[in-house]
Amino acid sequence: MDGVDVLVIGAGLVGCAAACRLAQAGARVEILEAARPNAGASGANAGSLHFQLERRFLENGEALADQAASILGLNLLAIEEWRGLADELGPDIRVHMRGGLMVAETADEVAILERKVAREVQGGLASRMIDGDAARALAPGLSETVVAASHLEAEGHADPKALTLAFAAAAAARGVRLRQRCRVVAARPVRSGYRLTVETPDGPEDLTAPKILIAAGAWSARIGELFNLHLPLYPVALLMSATERTAPLLDPLIQHVGQRLSMKQAQAGNVLIGGGWPSRMRLDAAGRFDLDRPAEMLASSLRGNLAVAARVFPRVAELNLIRSWTGITAITADQLPLVGAIPQAPGVYVAAGGSAFTLGPTFARLLARRILDEPEERLEIFSPARFGHLNSFMGAADA
Amino acid sequence: MNDDARPDYDLAVVGAGPAGQAACLALPDGPRIVVIDEQLRPGGQILRQPPRAFSVRGWLEGAEYRRLKARLAAFESLESVEWLGGCSVLGAREAGEGWRLALSDGGGVREVTARRILIATGCYDMAVPLPGWTLPGAMSAGGVQAFVKSQMLAPGHRIAFAGSHPLQLLAADQLRKAGGTVAAVAFSQPFRRFVLKALGRPWTALTNLPRLMSVLLMGWRLRAAGVPIHFGRAPTAVEGRDRVQGLRLEDGAVVACDAAAFCFGFLPQSDLPRAMGLAVRPARPGGWKACHDAWMRASRPGAYVAGETTGVKGADAAAAEGALAGLAVAVDMGVLPLREAVRRAAPVRRARARALRFAALLEAVADPGPLPDRDLPADTIVCRCEDVTMGDLRAALAIGADAGGVKLATRCGMGVCQGRNCEHGLLALLGGVSTEPHGFTPRFPARPIRIGDLLAED
Repeated sequence: MDGVDVLVIGAGLVGCAAACRLAQAGARVEILEAARPNAGASGANAGSLHFQLERRFLENGEALADQAASILGLNLLAIEEWRGLADELGPDIRVHMRGGLMVAETADEVAILERKVAREVQGGLASRMIDGDAARALAPGLSETVVAASHLEAEGHADPKALTLAFAAAAAARGVRLRQRCRVVAARPVRSGYRLTVETPDGPEDLTAPKILIAAGAWSARIGELFNLHLPLYPVALLMSATERTAPLLDPLIQHVGQRLSMKQAQAGNVLIGGGWPSRMRLDAAGRFDLDRPAEMLASSLRGNLAVAARVFPRVAELNLIRSWTGITAITADQLPLVGAIPQAPGVYVAAGGSAFTLGPTFARLLARRILDEPEERLEIFSPARFGHLNSFMGAADA
Repeated sequence: MNDDARPDYDLAVVGAGPAGQAACLALPDGPRIVVIDEQLRPGGQILRQPPRAFSVRGWLEGAEYRRLKARLAAFESLESVEWLGGCSVLGAREAGEGWRLALSDGGGVREVTARRILIATGCYDMAVPLPGWTLPGAMSAGGVQAFVKSQMLAPGHRIAFAGSHPLQLLAADQLRKAGGTVAAVAFSQPFRRFVLKALGRPWTALTNLPRLMSVLLMGWRLRAAGVPIHFGRAPTAVEGRDRVQGLRLEDGAVVACDAAAFCFGFLPQSDLPRAMGLAVRPARPGGWKACHDAWMRASRPGAYVAGETTGVKGADAAAAEGALAGLAVAVDMGVLPLREAVRRAAPVRRARARALRFAALLEAVADPGPLPDRDLPADTIVCRCEDVTMGDLRAALAIGADAGGVKLATRCGMGVCQGRNCEHGLLALLGGVSTEPHGFTPRFPARPIRIGDLLAED
C-alpha cells in the first residue's frame, strides 16, 4: 500500500486547494499532475472575483437564471473564503476586493440588471443599483454611455499566477506530495479503492488509494473515461488580453450585463480584458479537440472584446496591447460546475466545470469535508448526481 | 476582403535587409510584391540608411559595404515592388489561399493578404544580464551602430565596448570615425582563443584572410588611436547610480565611461516564425532558428524563410538565401522553370556554402560560453520589462518549472518585449533547450500596439 488516502488528479487551483484542505484535516494526499502546477485554466484566467450573477446566467432565459440563483449561497461563502485567504496565504496572491460594477448602457439592460439585483438581494447578496454618475464616481473614466450599474463591494480580483502556487506550497508544508509530469493513463477499481496507472519520465507506475478526486479542469471528462464514466464537461477556449503596465487607472472590477466584458487593473498595473470571447480549439491527430495545445486566437473575438472595453472605458484605447492569450476551461450542460461524489463510482469525486477561480477555494474546502465523510450539504446543487442518467449504463463496478 | 478572395499580393517579404532584397532581385518581373520593414528605408541593420533628408559624407565606406550598397541600389530601382517602410508585422495567419498579415505603421493597423510570405527579419543583439545592465547608457553594440549608421550620432561621450564577438571592433571603429570616443574594447576570451579557433579551421581562415586582416587592422587602428584593447577580461558589472559611469571588468578594474556597449552575439528573430506555427530549432548561442528545405521553404505551405532568421550567418549568406527563396517562389508560382532555377541557384549555393564556413568560424571564435552566469548576484535583473531578478528565477527553478511555468510564476517574459531580452537566458538557466515544452508560447501581437489603432483598422 502507498499509504495515501486521496489521490488528486490535477495540480490546478482546485486540486492544490483541495489537497491543502484535506491535509489540514489530517488526510494523506498525493497530487498527480500531467504537466506542471497551474498550467491550465487556473493560471490562464484573468483573476476576476465576481460574486454577482454572471451575465451568461441571465442571457438564456429565466429558467437558467432561476437555477443560477441557487449559486448565490455559494457566492456568499466564497466572499468569506476570499476575505480569509490573504491572511492565510500571504500578500503574494494580491487579493483586491474593492468593489465591482456590472454596467448597463441601454434601458433593456437596466431592466435586466434590476431583476438581477432583486434576485441577488433576495439571496442575501449586498448588491445595489446605482446610476451612471455614481458608477463614474467609483470608476472615474467610465464612459458616459453607462446609464446604470449594479455595485457589489466585495468584488475585485486576485492573481491567478500566484494563487495555485500558494495553495501548492501550503499543501506541501502539510506533507502533500505533488508529482509533475505524471499523467494518469488508466484506472481500475480494486478492493482497497482504485489503482491508477501513471506515466512518468521514469516510466509507468501504479498507485492505489481509497479515494480519488478528479480536478483536471478541461481534461476531467477524459479522466472520467478512465473510470468508465461520462462527465458532461465541454471544453471551451476563451480569450484574454493584457495592456502594458500603467499608473493606477481603474480600481473596481468592471463587467457588462449585456456584453461579454470583464476588465480590471491588476496590481502590477496591466489592464486585463476578457469576458468570455471564444477562441478556436485545435484538433488532435484523431480529430478531437486538442486540450494540450493553446487554442487559436480569433481576430474577430479580439476586436469585439477590445471594442467593448474601449467603449465602456475609453482610456483603454490609449494603452498598448502587449499580449493576448487563450485558455481552455470547461462548462457543463447546465452551466453549473460539477462538484461532488459520483454515485456510480463510489470513492470518486470531481470538481470541474468553470467558475473555479472565484469559487475554487470554496469548492475545495467544502469538497474536502465531503471526501472525509463529514456532513456537507452546501454542494448539493453542483452534485454530479444531477447528470446520473448519463451514467445509467456506466460505472466502475467489478472490484 | 474575405478569406476566399484573391490575395492583395503574390508575395509579402518581411524584412528589407540583404535577404529580402536578394529575394526580390531574384524574382522575374510580374509577381505583385510588397516589402515590409520596420525601418523607414530599406537596407536592414547592416546598412541602416539615414533619412533621405540627410546628406552624409563617406557613409559606410569600404569594400565590405560596396556590394551591399550596390544591391540596395538595385533593389530600390525595382518597380515591381511596393514598399511599406516604418511598418511592423503584428501577426500573420493562414487564410484562404495564403497568408493574412496584420500591419501597424504607428498611425494605424491594417491587414494585407499575400499568396506567399517570406520571413527575412534578421537577428538582434543578444542581451546578457549583468549587474547594472539596465542603467541608462548601457546598450548593445548593435544599438551603437544603429545610432552611428543612421544618424551619425554617438550615444555617449566615452563608450566602452565589451563582449565576446569580434563585431565590437567594427562597431568601435565606426564610432570612432563618426567622432565618438572609445573608452576601451574588452574581450571576454584570451587572444590565443582567436588564434586557436582560426587554426582549427585553417582552410576557412586562409580563404577569408582579407576579412581577418581587416579585423586585425581595425584593432590596430583603434590601438593606434590610443584605445586600450583587453583580452581575457569579461565585463562583470556596469557601475553608476542613475546612469552608466563605468564598466567593471573581471580583474576588478573599472573603465570610466558614460555608455557601455555589449556584444556577445546575436539571436535570430523568431517572433513571427513561431507565431505562424513554423518549425524552429535551437540556435547558438541562443534563440530559435526557423527550419527550411534546400529552397528556403519553411514548414507550412506558402511560407519561406531566409537570412539570419534561419540562423546568424552574416550578410553574404543571408543574401544567398534570399536569392534561393526568390527562385523558389518563382518556381512555386510557375513563372520560372525548375531547371532554370537550379541553374541560377548553383553559384548562389556555392556562395552560401563559403559564407556559412566563415560564419561557423566566427561563431566558434565568438562563443560567449554559458550565459547568463549562474553566479550572478541574486538582485541582478534578468527580465528588464518586469524587473525579474536572478533570485526570483532561482526560486522558481527550485520548484522544477519549465519556461512557461517560470513565466507564469515570476512574470519573466511577460512585458512589452515578449521575452526577446530574457527567454534565451532563462532557457540557459533551465539547462538548455532539450526539455519539452520549448520556450515561451508566442502571443499576438508580435509588437505592442495601441488598442485604439487596432480598433480603428478598416
